[in-house]
Parts: sequence; C-alpha cells; structure tokens
Amino acid sequence: MEKEEQDRNMHILRTGVLSPVKRWSAKWSLWPCHFVTSCCGVELAHAFASGFDGERLGTLNMGISRQANFIIVEGTITRKMARALRIVWEQMPDPKFVNVIGACGQRGGIFWNSYNITRPSEIVPVDFFIPGCPVTPEGILRGVRAVQDKIALGKDETTIKFKKVALPSEVGQGSTIPTSPKRFAPTPLVKVDIPREVDWDFGSTTVSNLKSQLEGLYKSITITDKNRIAIKTAPENLMEVARKLSDNMGIDHTKSVNVVDVPHEQKFILEYMASSYSNNDLMPVIITLFTEIERKAEPEFPSITPLWDSADYSEREMHDFFGIKYEGNAGMNAKFLLAPETQTPLRKDFKLDEENYVFDDSPLNPKIDLPTSLEMPAPTDLYDEAEASDEFIILVGPHHTGSGHLRWILRIKGDIIVDVTPDPGYVHRSMEKIAENRLYIQNVPLFERANITDPFNMNLGYVHAIEKALSIEVPERAKYIRTMLAELSRIGAFFYDSGIFSLFTGHSTGFMYVWAIREMILEATVRLTGSRCTPSFIIPGGVRRDISKDVLDMTGNFTTAVNKRLKKFEDIFINNPVFIARTKGVGVVTKQEAIKYGLVGPFLRASGVDYDIRKVEPYEVYDKLNWEVTTGDAGDCLGRYMGRYEEIKQSLSILKQTVDALKRMPRGDVISGEVLGEYKEASEDIKGHLYHAYGNLVLPKGEWTSVIESARGTLLYSIISDGDSNVPYRVRIVTPCWMNLRGIVEASKGERVADFWTIYGSFGYFPPEADR
Amino acid sequence: MQEVINELLETMMSNQVSVPVIQPVIDMAAQVPMVGLGISFILWTPIFALLICPGLSTLGIFLLFFPWIERKLCGRIQWRVGPREIVPWLGGLIQLLADTLRFLFQEVIVHKDAHRPYFLQFAFLSFAAALLPLLFINAGAVIAIASPYGVQLLLALVCLFPLFILGLGWASNSRFAFIGSVREAFMYFAYEIPFIIAVLAMVILFGTSNPMLIPDKWGIILNPIAAFTFFVGAAMATSRMPFEIPEADQEVAAGPHVEYSGIAFGLIYVMCYEKAYILSALMVVLFLGGGGGPYIPGLTVHLGDLMGIVWFLLKVIIVMTTMFVLRTIYPRYRLDQGLTIGWGAMIAISLVALAWSIVFVFLQQGGVL
Repeated sequence: MEKEEQDRNMHILRTGVLSPVKRWSAKWSLWPCHFVTSCCGVELAHAFASGFDGERLGTLNMGISRQANFIIVEGTITRKMARALRIVWEQMPDPKFVNVIGACGQRGGIFWNSYNITRPSEIVPVDFFIPGCPVTPEGILRGVRAVQDKIALGKDETTIKFKKVALPSEVGQGSTIPTSPKRFAPTPLVKVDIPREVDWDFGSTTVSNLKSQLEGLYKSITITDKNRIAIKTAPENLMEVARKLSDNMGIDHTKSVNVVDVPHEQKFILEYMASSYSNNDLMPVIITLFTEIERKAEPEFPSITPLWDSADYSEREMHDFFGIKYEGNAGMNAKFLLAPETQTPLRKDFKLDEENYVFDDSPLNPKIDLPTSLEMPAPTDLYDEAEASDEFIILVGPHHTGSGHLRWILRIKGDIIVDVTPDPGYVHRSMEKIAENRLYIQNVPLFERANITDPFNMNLGYVHAIEKALSIEVPERAKYIRTMLAELSRIGAFFYDSGIFSLFTGHSTGFMYVWAIREMILEATVRLTGSRCTPSFIIPGGVRRDISKDVLDMTGNFTTAVNKRLKKFEDIFINNPVFIARTKGVGVVTKQEAIKYGLVGPFLRASGVDYDIRKVEPYEVYDKLNWEVTTGDAGDCLGRYMGRYEEIKQSLSILKQTVDALKRMPRGDVISGEVLGEYKEASEDIKGHLYHAYGNLVLPKGEWTSVIESARGTLLYSIISDGDSNVPYRVRIVTPCWMNLRGIVEASKGERVADFWTIYGSFGYFPPEADR
Repeated sequence: MQEVINELLETMMSNQVSVPVIQPVIDMAAQVPMVGLGISFILWTPIFALLICPGLSTLGIFLLFFPWIERKLCGRIQWRVGPREIVPWLGGLIQLLADTLRFLFQEVIVHKDAHRPYFLQFAFLSFAAALLPLLFINAGAVIAIASPYGVQLLLALVCLFPLFILGLGWASNSRFAFIGSVREAFMYFAYEIPFIIAVLAMVILFGTSNPMLIPDKWGIILNPIAAFTFFVGAAMATSRMPFEIPEADQEVAAGPHVEYSGIAFGLIYVMCYEKAYILSALMVVLFLGGGGGPYIPGLTVHLGDLMGIVWFLLKVIIVMTTMFVLRTIYPRYRLDQGLTIGWGAMIAISLVALAWSIVFVFLQQGGVL
C-alpha cells in the first residue's frame, strides 16, 4: 500500500503535457512541513538557519501541513508520534514527499530495542533516508537534493549508496561466536540504603537531629554518601515523616520520585528524594525517603502531592511505568507519558530485545510492534465540558509551529487561558529501560541523546554518579577540561532556547542571529571533541583525550567573537521595545510558587531562590574560578530570560578562565589511573582501550545519586546497582525540563492566549530532554 | 453604427497616454489598420491604467518578484542568502515562479468540515476584491476612473478586505481559523478609524479628494504625523510585524489560512502583497508626491507620462520594502496590546494629525504660509 502511495505522487508529476513544468516547479519548491518529531530537529533548524540556509534550495519551512509538500521526519517516531505523523501526512496535498533523517528513523539507531519506537517507513511512504545520529545539516541538505533529483531525473534511490572498500582486517581466531559481555545477577541484592563511611560532620548531626524528631516513625536512617541520607519507613508512616521533615526542617520539594521493582522479593521500593530550597544548610543534602510495598498488579499508595506538589508529574510517570496508583493524584486515570495501549514497561518482567551476537548477512531488524490503531483519541468529553461553561478548547501540537514535540490542551475563555494540560511523551524513547540492558559505559552515549543541545552536562551528570560510586578522583587537567566543556554546552543550550524563544514571539531575525552564533559553538565543539552534538567525550575517570594548545587558543578566541556578535543580538532582540512589552510582567512565578512546584535552574533563580548546584555542592573546578550566581526577583518571562542571559556572560567568563588555566597547565593525564587499572598507558588518550578498560565496570551495591547544574537546571541521575551485574539495575534520570513543565502550566493560567508562547519560550523547554 | 465607432475612436484618441519618445513608432503603426487600433486601445488611459500600470501587469510583476525581494532582503539582514540555487547567477530571481507553479499543480483539499462553496469562493473572491481599489489609484497622470471622490471610494474598497478574510476563516470551520478571524475582526476595528482619519487629514490639507488633483507635494513634509499614522495603519491592515496578530504562525497557525492548500492558498498568500501594493500606492499618492519627481533633462520630456509612472513605481517599491523589512526588526505584539495601540495612541495621534491639517489650511488661507 505504501508503495502505491509513493508511486502515486511520482505519477502525478510524470504524466500530462505539463509534466516538465510540474517537475521543475516541484523540484524547486519543496516546502518542508514544520513537524519536529525528535532531537534531530536541532540539526534541521541549523540546516535552515543562517549557517547553512536551506532556503537557498527553495525549501521554505512552512508551519502548516496543508501548504507544505514535504515532511522531514526527524529521527525517532514514538508510538504516540506515529499517529501524528500519519495525520500530518494525510493532511498534506498531493504530490508530497517524505525524508527520514537520523539513525532511529531507519532501524531504531541507539534506541533499537526501545519499547516505544516505531519505524516511520511503515507509517508513511519514505522517499529518502539519511543516516546519522544526529544527522549533520549537510546531510539534511543532501537529502533535500536527493529528493530534488528524484523529482527531476526520476532517480530511484532510497538512501546514500556507500562505496564498499575492502580493508585489510585481521582474521579472527577460529569461528567462535562472540558472547554477550553483559552479566545479569540472577537474584540481585537491591538495597538503596547501603551505609558508607564519609567525612561529613554536618551529616552526623543531621542524622541525630532526624532521629530525635522522627522517633518511632522510621525504621532506619543511614548516611549513604556525602550529602545523601536515606530514611526507611513503614508505608503507613511515610506521609507523617514527610510532614515532619517539611514542617521542622524546611524540606520543601522533591527532586525525584522513584520506584524500584524487585520481583524475586515480591516488593516495590518507593522512593522520594527531597531537598530544601529554603534552608541554606540543607540545600546540598538530598534525603531519600523510601518504603517497601508488596508487588502486585495495581498497588495503591497515598500520593505525596498535598505536601510536595513538585512530585505530581513524576508520580504520574511512575504510574505509567510501574502501574502504581498514587491515591490523591489527579492524573491516575490515564497514561501521561506513554501511549494508551502500553503496559507497565519498567517492571522487570517486561523484557526488551537483546543483541544478536551471531553475525550473519541479514540486516539487523529488531522486532517493533506498530501501534494497533492510528486514530488519535479526541478528548470529546473535554469539549462538551468546556462548551457548557462557555470555554473553548484548542489543541496545540504535536504538529504546530509553536508546540515543539508535545501537545498542549489549552482551555480558554475569550482571550484568557483558564487551564493548560500538557500531554508529553511524544519523544519518550524509554532511556531508563534501555539503560538497564546496557553496560555502564554504553549508557554514556545513550543519556547524551536525551538532550543534544546540552550534551556535556548530560554526560557529566551520569559520569559523576559512577565516579561517586567508585570513589574516583579525576585528574586536575580533566576537571578543567570538563568545566570548559560543560560551560560551552551551557552557552549552546542558552542560544538554542533564545532562538526558539524569539521564534515564539514572532522574531525570525533573533532566531537567525542566535543560531549563527550557535554554529560557532558547535564548530568549537567539533574541534574540541570531534562531534557537533553527540561527542560522548566525558567518560568515568576523566575525558577521552587531552586537548591540544591550538584548539584551546581557538576556543579562547571564540569567546571574544561570541561577545561581539552577542552585542548585535542584544540590539535587535533583547532591547527591542516590542520584546520587552511582550515579556515584562508576563507569566509571573513567585518565590513560594517556584519552590512549591519544584522549579529548577535559572528559572528558579529568576524567582529569587539563590540555588545553583555549582555553588551549593561544587563539582569539578567551579569553586576555584571567579564567577557569580545570577538571581532575580521578578519571576516573569523577561526576568527568566535576562537571568539566563546574565548567566551566559558569566559562563563566557568561566570559559575564558578555564582556557587560560589549561594553557598554563602542562599536558598530562586526563583519565584517572584508578579506573584504568592495567591500561595506564591510555591515561592521555583512551583510543583503542575503551572497552578493555570500561567494558566490565561494576558499581558497588547501593544507590548512587548525583546532581549537577545543567544548562536548564538540576539534572539528577540515580543509579541503583546490585554490586554483581555489569549493567545498572535501575537508572532514574530527572531532567530539568521535566521539573519545569509544571512551571509552564502554572505560569500560563490566567494569562492571555498569546502569552502562552512567551511563557513556554521563556522556560527553555526542550521536550526530548523532558521525555527522555 | 459607424458614428458610434467613430465617437469611441475619438474619445480614445483624445485620451491617450503620451510617450513622446515612442510616438513615431506609434504613428507608424497607426497606418496599419488593426494594429493601430489595438495600440491606441492599449494606450487609451483607462485601459492602460487597468491593464498595464498601476493595474494588472504591474501587480502581476510585483506579486512574482516582491516576495523574492522580501525573502532575499530578509535573508541578507539575517546573515544568510535566501533563495538562490534555482538560478544562481540571478540570485534565485524566479523562485516565486516555481512556487506559484507548484501551488497551481498541487491538490486543493476541501476538508470535510468546511463549507465547501464558500470555502472555495472566498479564496478567489478575495483575490478579485483586492484588485478593485486599483481602479482609483493614479500612477502619475494615468488613472482608470478619475472621480472627485476617488480617495473615499478607494478607502471604502480597501476596508472590504477584512470581510473576505473573515469569510475565509468562517468557511474553514477550524478552531485556529476561528480565533484568527476573530483577531482579524478586532484588529480591523482598531486600525480602521485612525487610518481613515489620517487620510481625511490629507484630504482636508489638499482640499480635494480627487487623486488626479492632489498636487505633487510631499504630504509627509506637510503633515508627518498623518504619514506616520497612515504607515502604522497600513502595517496593521496588511498584518505586517509587529501587528501580524491574526496570522500569527506560532500562535494560531496562520489563522484564517490554516486549511487552504494548492492554488487557493497561493491566491491568499499573494493577497497580502496585493494589499501592501495598494496601500503603498495610496501612501505614495497622498504623502510622497505621487508621480512627481525632479526634472531630469532629456528623460522627463521624452518619456512624458511614462516618467510619472517610473517615479510612482520607484516610490511604491521603497514604501513596500520598508513595510516588509519591519518583519525582520520587530517581534509580534499581543492582541490586547495591538488593540490598545489602535484604540489609544493611534486615534490620539490621528486626531493630532487632523488638527494639524486644519490649522495648516487656516494659516494658508490667512496668508501666513
């Protein structure tokens, strides 16, 4: 059927007297539909921004499917997005063409055994595939050219034909079939409160303080690491303990809600990781409050949202993943992140495909179930309900110029927003489940894909958790390199968000300027690490290789160049009176609200909370550098944006300082010897030794939680290891965008319809990061 | 019968567009029976105005090339090149030709919920309606219908546009189209009054509303406030940034246009350029001295009426370009901010402009100026 559909499009162009005219016009007027499906959208935007300017080819990005004739499917199509893709394709007038970019669009790429992805080629007819993860802008334009050739010359190729080159290769010893390097413990011992001896005075006083306050309510209180305390309670006491913590100690928000499935012991471990924004001493401390409940089909547990509202969306997520019903949470009657038909996938009895270690010539074709029905369920009862109260429902996204990769259900009365309901999960690639099936080192590139606009911080957080567990001390030079890279990626992410923000306010020049500057950051990233968006450069124990002096010189010069261009951007966008009129006093989040909803990062600081993990719990070399935390107290869109802008100026200064420090420093080890073991000669460049050194990494028993300040705020990784398997038992990632989602919803209520996009833009929301 | 034709010929011959430099050629061609008649017919001022300038041909060329100029100019401002590869040595000049042809050969989808007859009618009607005001605009000395109430008629026809846009939105029966049409209606009321007052101020100042009798004076110098009001009003009427509120792509997905595809969309897409052309022409007539320009020895005499047309078109291009460059400079206002500007500041300054004109006329009559 797809073949027929595809042929129909070419047939229209090939027939009739006017066929040459039809083909010529279609060739030069391929208007891609603005349909962002996954993270390759970042590179797509680069392809159509100043740096590569896809408009040269006559391809003008068009927001509306009816007027476009070309879809560029950007990477992963999840089960939820599959429906949207089909609908958008059907909305477009004939003749129409489809390109699929990215590895995940072909055979799943790095997410090949995910439970939530589909193959675009089985949903719509595809004209051309472009491989890459992510695809470079050049690749995207090459794909456009390929479709142009197909139209004009009738070339019938579906992907780039690579030349086969016979490379001399060593002949293997015999014909032994490689075996899986993975080792799963049959009955893993899963405990989240393994005590650890640490030099932490404040911890012991806090614990004794806690013990006296929670007398009779707790089962045990353990220090699991520096700044980490675990409190075990009985299920019925958990709420009471949380209330005591909240009332007496100022623990005011949750950073994460986690569930661990332990099938062989017939139990679930329910965790809440809570911390404080109001008590300065407790800011770096994360208190893990956990309990164990019986494992059954649909266990019930009282929701903690009356006390800590910030747990709301994470509880819904856990409901999707494990089927735990949090009584009192409003979102328990439907799926939040997953497609409606999906079962509880993060339970251990839900198995993913394993790699096939027998090589044969057949292509790798993982089993992927298509969604049974491509019908999008329309919220009809919502329509009726709204109409009864003289309100109006508009569905924004997932295909909408101003939606990104998620759907918003706006309920409006006149020009005022009454309620906003987010419908995330359109880019949920199930990283937490995939990670349970991969080696620790294989998860470095995996987690990086959660947010390719901020790759170094995504790496850094995960690597920190591993280093914490193994107590590795990273060489000084590697620390400086890491800081430099983290700041580079923070700047890049800010430019990404500014571009989207200026587009949301209707300012295309702001978008183009800032993406041209971002192009320079990517250029620096390429020279430093070898990849534009997905370098996987930071590995446990250090960084992959040392950086040479001329590249450092270039990075230093580049800060000057950015500053110069930033001035122009400031003139046209930030000082623009219309921009200020649109953002000032709009979408205000007060300090109390920000704490209540658990906002993170610059958006929390804009509301007046002085919380930056780089200062609160310094990591790498942030405590040795000279910089300041920017806080504001307006809490409106302008405040949030300007707060980040000031922060970027600090970041540029940090970047400069680290580059200078690195230039002064002698070249030397960048990977810690503790992790390399017998491969010490790789301490300056891991090339050739990566899998030998890291393939069999095993973390000690327990839960290892790291928090870092990524570009958009607190990024939390929590790895649970059983101490035996060389894969994690469970990895919990809480990304800043996921926490900020609530902020967008609450800030939008009561504002005007057009303000929704200003607020959305000012929060720098990046759906792939939130959905993971 | 013969008398009627003779009389018609006489009327035609008495009202020809005069271009001295090609007059010998015309005279020669006039000897050939049918060709002479044809040439005289085309050079008959009303027909020339209708078909050549400022009418259909000029409009057609503008529609084909102005979007290209806009895209190219925006490209340069935004540090990129804009359309190019289609003919690299001309800088992608015929990009719009490809786009137009592509729309022409593309399927026109009428979706299930649309009101089919109106959905299709309005797309074509709105294009036609946007042509009507061209009848009352003069390019130099060339005009189709000269009327003592020319400016008022023009305004009345210009104010028809929003009705058609409302029709588009209504017939689309989509939620975004609905919000977009409502926004259009709101904005229409907000800009219409100051816009009309600004024109009225100029009518009072010149003492005539016949575009042919408006002197070649630069109204922008005589009454700059009115010129400013008019320009902002024109930007609002053509939905340019920062007032691109009804068609906001990121908010209401192009509003009334959201369901249109194929050539129906093509016509709507160029309608905004049509509107911009007409309003720029009116601005040129009222504020920039119409077809008047400095005397260029050798050219002015030889080109005759054509010289007025050249000046007129040059000025129109400048005004239109300015209007389009706004897009690269400003973000978009919110609906309520747009309305506040329309009903507040704009009305206030348009009244100031009106008062300015009245005082100006009094002073002129009193002999002070």
